[in-house]
Amino acid sequence: MAEQTLTLRNLKVVFPSGMGLIRAVEGVDIDIGKGESIALVGESGCGKSVTSMSIMKLIESPPAITKMDQLTFAGDDIKDYTPSQMQSVRGKMMAMIFQDAMTSLNPVMTCGKQIDEMFMRHMQLNKKAAREETVKALELVGVPEPRKRAKNFPHELSGGMRQRVLLAMAFACMPKLIIADEPTTALDVTIQAQVLSVLRDMQKKHDVSLLVVTHDLSVVANIADTVYVMYSGKIVEKASVKQLFKQPFHPYSAGLLASVPSLSDTAGHFVQIPGSVPHPMKKPTGCYFHPRCHYAKDKCKASMPPLSAHDDGRQVRCFYPLKTNGGTSNV
Amino acid sequence: MSETKVNPIVDMRHVSVDFPVKGALPFIRKGCIQAVSDVSLTIHRGETFGIVGESGCGKSTLANAMIGMVKPTAGEVVFDGKNLYELSRDDFKATRRDMQMIFQDPFSSLNPRFNVYQIISEPMFIRGQDSEATMKARVIELLELVGLSKDDLYRYPSDFSGGQRQRLGIARAIILNPTFLVCDEPVSALDVSVHAQILNLLTDIQKKLKLTYVFISHNLAVVKSICDRMIVMYLGKIMEAGNVKTIFDNPLHPYTHALLSAVLDTDQTKQREQVILKGDIPSPIDPPKGCRFYQRCPKAMEGCKTIPAPEITVEEDHVVACHYVNGFPESVEKGEGYDTPLKQQADE
Repeated sequence: MAEQTLTLRNLKVVFPSGMGLIRAVEGVDIDIGKGESIALVGESGCGKSVTSMSIMKLIESPPAITKMDQLTFAGDDIKDYTPSQMQSVRGKMMAMIFQDAMTSLNPVMTCGKQIDEMFMRHMQLNKKAAREETVKALELVGVPEPRKRAKNFPHELSGGMRQRVLLAMAFACMPKLIIADEPTTALDVTIQAQVLSVLRDMQKKHDVSLLVVTHDLSVVANIADTVYVMYSGKIVEKASVKQLFKQPFHPYSAGLLASVPSLSDTAGHFVQIPGSVPHPMKKPTGCYFHPRCHYAKDKCKASMPPLSAHDDGRQVRCFYPLKTNGGTSNV
Repeated sequence: MSETKVNPIVDMRHVSVDFPVKGALPFIRKGCIQAVSDVSLTIHRGETFGIVGESGCGKSTLANAMIGMVKPTAGEVVFDGKNLYELSRDDFKATRRDMQMIFQDPFSSLNPRFNVYQIISEPMFIRGQDSEATMKARVIELLELVGLSKDDLYRYPSDFSGGQRQRLGIARAIILNPTFLVCDEPVSALDVSVHAQILNLLTDIQKKLKLTYVFISHNLAVVKSICDRMIVMYLGKIMEAGNVKTIFDNPLHPYTHALLSAVLDTDQTKQREQVILKGDIPSPIDPPKGCRFYQRCPKAMEGCKTIPAPEITVEEDHVVACHYVNGFPESVEKGEGYDTPLKQQADE
């Protein structure tokens, strides 16, 4: 791996509540190389959004208690950055694309003005120059008639256009890392295809690192190079996209993959993972996945398996990983 | 009617639903949103009928018109041999018991101040024919059917996860033994790993209770797996209709093509060619005169702008409304150069 954009070691986030501690993230390590596209996959409540927000230091503390061993971004140690120092990093060096374009854009400001702010704040441009840059940025993400659109308010644009405005805003200062939190969940399939292709093209063209947070494995298959699968606050598997879709090692990843209906499937019963995600305050002992796992043995109930390394940089948190040649049978 | 082999439970004939829109100022022209325009379809007993389309294409409005929640501005809806909108109030109420609905969002469709027993028994309570004891027995029976237990009887919706809430919604929908169930995107608000659970539950219940489903979805993979027949809608019109297998094997309409290719496949070995549609679905207030899809259609021709595309049966149980597939009708007056390909605008 040539150049590291982001190194995160042992991130822990805890939310104290009246009834006990909610351990949202328990020791997550993430590495993102330059120009790499990483996906963080998991069900709701598994801590994937909290992880991405902690990288940007957007988790307010208090109430949250955030601990990490290392957070290196573009060669700088930003672990102990103060909020005001972070402000010069956010937007300029790393940017975020949020899920719901309607709520993350300011409804009383025109779209153009919101992007102008990026240039005025981070590049010290004047109003006029900023607007020129905005028009260019909008053009890049494929907004037709960018000069006219820049004068529109968010509610005057369609869902796909709004998402493009967010993309333009994220790419405005050509940051080193873009975090996209469920970038296409609120969109229709045809619009989703549009937005993803724009995102992919922009990322490749400008050699930006990308962290996509999503629950949709089909999005992952189309945009990411490396996948981290999260379950209940822990990484359970790390693999390249090709490897993961070919042969998942962790039973949870396998179940997740099998339960996604696909066009190439023949009709019939859907494969399902029994049960549901454990409550964050009542996590089971041992491996968090064992109550839902077909292959669970006594050892899984007693202790948490470590994240062990396998060939080709794969990591799996399971005592009995599924392997075609291994002892455990295939799914 | 019951002797015939083909026994439609719902028959919609040329149904249109318009919603009037008031202009912002008195002198601005008042328009209307043509949510559904001139849709005819039949749903057979015992089948699962899929309605597919982007948001805003009128699929929910169509389903609402089917079960008598929205009065169509034109056309008629025949349910089980009865014209829904000509029934008397009492007859309508009685007929409505045979049709129920499962909603998309299990978080807003359950009253947070009702407990499980109150939620599920409400339809029975409103009917007012049963004693407290029968209702309770029935609710417990249903809870077990949908995979919950009777310990959950007095818990509140906030105690349940999304998937469990959707199970409550299903239990509520089937308490009065309906024959016809409309599922309006029943899984789109749920986690992926729970999708399969709910879909399996729905198919199991269908088999057990011999229900007819209308399944609204934008997920073509799901529709392919559970539906028998389907329609593809765009801007209030049917683009393609017929047997699910026929449509997936041989999609003819360019819109169906685009929809299919927009579904991302997790199978890495099968990366299909992607047709990415440009632009967004246009406003239904002023839909195009001709084919409604022409602005985004990669195959559009000059004539598509003005000449509406009729629905033509191309093979058994497969209807397509497209000039590109069917050719232009001969009876219609065509302008000069009607069959030249339409130049795609820059990016809209």
